[in-house]
Amino acid sequence: MAEKKLTAVIFFNPRNYRNKADCAELSAYIQTHSGHDAVWNSSVQPWDDAELAAYIRLYSNVAEVWDPCELPWDNAEKLAKKISAKKISRIVIAGELPGIIKSYVARAMMLAGESAEQVWLADFHEHGASDLQGISSDKAKAVLLAAFYQLPFEMISVPAELPVNPTTLVIGGGIAGSQASLEIAEAGLDVYLVERSGTIGGHMAMFDKTFPTLDCAACILTPKMVEVGQHPHIKLRTYCEVKEVTGVPGNYTVKILKKARMVNLSTCIGCGTCTEKCPVNVFSEFDSGTTMRKAIYIPFPQAVPNKYLIDVANCTKITANKCGVCAKVCPVADCIDYNEKDTEEIITVGNIIVATGFKTFDATRVEQYGYGKYPNVLTSLEFERLINASGPTGGEINFRVQDKKQNWIFTQTGDSPRKVGVIHCVGSRDENHNSHCSKVCCMYSLKLAHLVKEKLPDAEVYEYYIDMRAFGKGYEEFYERIREEGIHMIRGKTAKIEESGKKLKLRGEDMEGGKLLEQEMDMVILAVGLEPREDAGEIARMIGLDTEKGWFREANQLSDPVGTSNGGIYVAGVCQGPKDIPDTVAQASAAASRVIQCVIRGKVAGNQNGVPLSEIETMVKQFSMEEIA
Amino acid sequence: MSHRVDPTLIKEVEKFGKGSWNECFHCGQCTANCPLTEEGSLFPRSGYRALQMGMRDKLQAGVEPWLCYYCGDCSKQCPRDANPGETMMVLRRWLTSRYDWTGLAKKFYTSHWWELIAVLVIGTIVGLLFSVFNPNGIVTELNPDGGVRINDMFPIKWVHLGDLVMAACIAFLLVTNLFRMWYFTILKQKETRVPFVLYFTEVWNLVVHFATQKKFNKCDNKKYWAGHWLLMSGYVIMFTMIVAFLPWFQTDIIYEWYEPQRLLGYYATFGLTVGLIYFFWGRIKKAAKSTFQFSHISDWLFIIMLLLTTLTGIALHFFRIYGMAEATYWMYIFHMAILVPMLVIEVPFSKWSHLAYRPFAAYFARVKKAAVSRNAVKEKLVLN
Repeated sequence: MAEKKLTAVIFFNPRNYRNKADCAELSAYIQTHSGHDAVWNSSVQPWDDAELAAYIRLYSNVAEVWDPCELPWDNAEKLAKKISAKKISRIVIAGELPGIIKSYVARAMMLAGESAEQVWLADFHEHGASDLQGISSDKAKAVLLAAFYQLPFEMISVPAELPVNPTTLVIGGGIAGSQASLEIAEAGLDVYLVERSGTIGGHMAMFDKTFPTLDCAACILTPKMVEVGQHPHIKLRTYCEVKEVTGVPGNYTVKILKKARMVNLSTCIGCGTCTEKCPVNVFSEFDSGTTMRKAIYIPFPQAVPNKYLIDVANCTKITANKCGVCAKVCPVADCIDYNEKDTEEIITVGNIIVATGFKTFDATRVEQYGYGKYPNVLTSLEFERLINASGPTGGEINFRVQDKKQNWIFTQTGDSPRKVGVIHCVGSRDENHNSHCSKVCCMYSLKLAHLVKEKLPDAEVYEYYIDMRAFGKGYEEFYERIREEGIHMIRGKTAKIEESGKKLKLRGEDMEGGKLLEQEMDMVILAVGLEPREDAGEIARMIGLDTEKGWFREANQLSDPVGTSNGGIYVAGVCQGPKDIPDTVAQASAAASRVIQCVIRGKVAGNQNGVPLSEIETMVKQFSMEEIA
Repeated sequence: MSHRVDPTLIKEVEKFGKGSWNECFHCGQCTANCPLTEEGSLFPRSGYRALQMGMRDKLQAGVEPWLCYYCGDCSKQCPRDANPGETMMVLRRWLTSRYDWTGLAKKFYTSHWWELIAVLVIGTIVGLLFSVFNPNGIVTELNPDGGVRINDMFPIKWVHLGDLVMAACIAFLLVTNLFRMWYFTILKQKETRVPFVLYFTEVWNLVVHFATQKKFNKCDNKKYWAGHWLLMSGYVIMFTMIVAFLPWFQTDIIYEWYEPQRLLGYYATFGLTVGLIYFFWGRIKKAAKSTFQFSHISDWLFIIMLLLTTLTGIALHFFRIYGMAEATYWMYIFHMAILVPMLVIEVPFSKWSHLAYRPFAAYFARVKKAAVSRNAVKEKLVLN
């Protein structure tokens, strides 16, 4: 009788192996043999190895399950010995991206004298076992059985074109979300635009000027915002959050949380009487904490919708049931309702564009610059507000002062600096914080230097940089222009800032001059980098996106920069990776064009379910009967 | 001045320890962070540049690695995890091997076996010398005050003679190496001509830096300076007493505790012990981005041999004053079998050599700086 030959099943789930002490060999192997980082960071819910192992044993008595962590990954000959010792004639690698280890396993099979052809892959993701919520256990079982008994994978699921609901959801109302919404709405399609804060506009609304043309940011953005607000095809949902996404490509069901605004959107006339009388002062988010706002407020004068809202966390009427003055002074009856509760809205859409944006690097993490300790060390975003004509100082560059309650804020009064330093790469290109280049800081720093010079022609401005990255159309020319304006460019990142009296002492190396620099500045601007939002991971899990160091991963950086691994879901703007406004707008338009293409064709790429698991099981049972016989 | 580019330089230096010099993208933070950086000596980054470019002469001419006490401030902030502090350490090893004309330093630093075997061989020879060729053997008879007659067991005359011969050899090696250091750093660098008189006017630097390590005190971590200073002072006192003044220090009489022999001995032992515990603990903990994150075998050998010497020395002292003749005898041999190879191997060829190179580096740096400013003044005069 012929010797019984066994089949080994390896469950391969790369993200489980990273930084696991007993799995260092495999981890190193994956690191060197997979092209990109994404293999570690898939946010799709994984499967349960033990459950699948028990399952395959039910169906076959010739299966042996191997934990990849216990296999040798430094030398294929060691694995070959194990293969020979266990009398394995076939290996099934099941899981996510199993191709990474295929060549190694195949070599070991050859060294063991078996056929290298007998290494079979069961990629759960490729064969449709994953959906928005993760790997479906039943589908994974079906894929595994198919690979084990060499059934065609098409039985489980087939790539198919699914019908499309023409309505689109755009998540995030910054420049990317607004642009994408407008493009789609202009094509005559309905769009839901969901924005978390009280107004659309995002970070761009906070900027003073844009590089390299020095156009006023508001002049470009606010007409777009108004258009979004008034467009008949755009259903604007500000102060709302997307809570749940279910369904298949082309037909998603989305649950939206409408946070209680306490002010009736349809009756509020935006007169501002409530804000005048409100006694509570809190830091203004829109002004990047450089001034105060009230507990009932409008984020900024050009907000869309131009309606007030109550900050639930700080309003004393809500927290302590004291005050209530805004309702008393409001000229419209029943406009302010303190009892309004959060509600939910369920919508169905065909396509989703994710444009959730970014957050700026928290400069307090770089202790040596003393941000938060020295009042005249600012972040670039604070400086944008400071220099903006609608900002706290009306566009004058003043030092920060303390108000009656000891809060450091900017006011119309105060002295102006004579020497201003701009430090590049704060929190970017730094292994201690973020290793990526934030792409925009060099250029906006040059812009800020120009703005300082424009407002204070006598001031000396110093730029401390590592490398000057002027990468876009007209950017290098912009750099040259700024240099000619007499701004000092110093190659060498500042190492630390110390306060001496009212001055800030910067210590750094001047690489081109070959000397140590100790300079005194009146004001220092930290060019903080861009980071993924804190809850980017949560959003990724909800929508089934992959992330790469917190950024959402596109389907293919070169050929499909807006698509994702799920049909009908697209990314646009900085949530996909750091980029400037031109690139963001371009990507938003590209995403919109993909949506429009989808709707016009009426079809979206997806998977159609094949034979159910129970049928595959029946089919397989016959094989296993033969096997046992 | 032109520089010859040597592409093999980086490979050569890599043999002396863990380095990540290709990581550096020259942001200059390490230089500015270093409390020792001043006009004219921009390190550690300049070292990185020379390494990356293969500028052997420039790297060899730099005394900066010796000025660095490895407080680790540069490594903490480095945005590339390039570990400038450790690079300075590696460069010190490399420089030691460049100064050493025998080629042994390079062997000891780049091969674990060479260093270990050399220590073992010399230790064995010394041990055999004391135990096998010892004319007197164990003298069990005690002094009237109860002490062991150690100088009868090991004739002090001969031991002292051997001592002086060893010291002379070490001194010869160190002086010739220092001469090469001077040649590389000053003589070969033709762009600065150093007037002879400056060597005399700046000589006080040598003494001050050796005795106080005041540059080290500029580092933020004062504990590190204190630990190092205790160790250094204890070592120097002990070394001087056992090499230069052995007949005065090692006697059969048990002195009262307040006599200088005992006081100095106790201080030196205290300094050595406390310093060693500090270093030992640090190297075991290997805290990330600290001075002790990486340990080369020469670092360990240095601490372990000194610790063993100290411990055997302490044991020897008590065995002697409590009249335990046989224990004293064997402990003395053991003590010598560690002490002698430590001095012979470590002082001229390995880590201990920094004892000489550090103060001389500070001295040469001062001389060079003085020469530069003097030449600048002269030029001005000529121009006027």
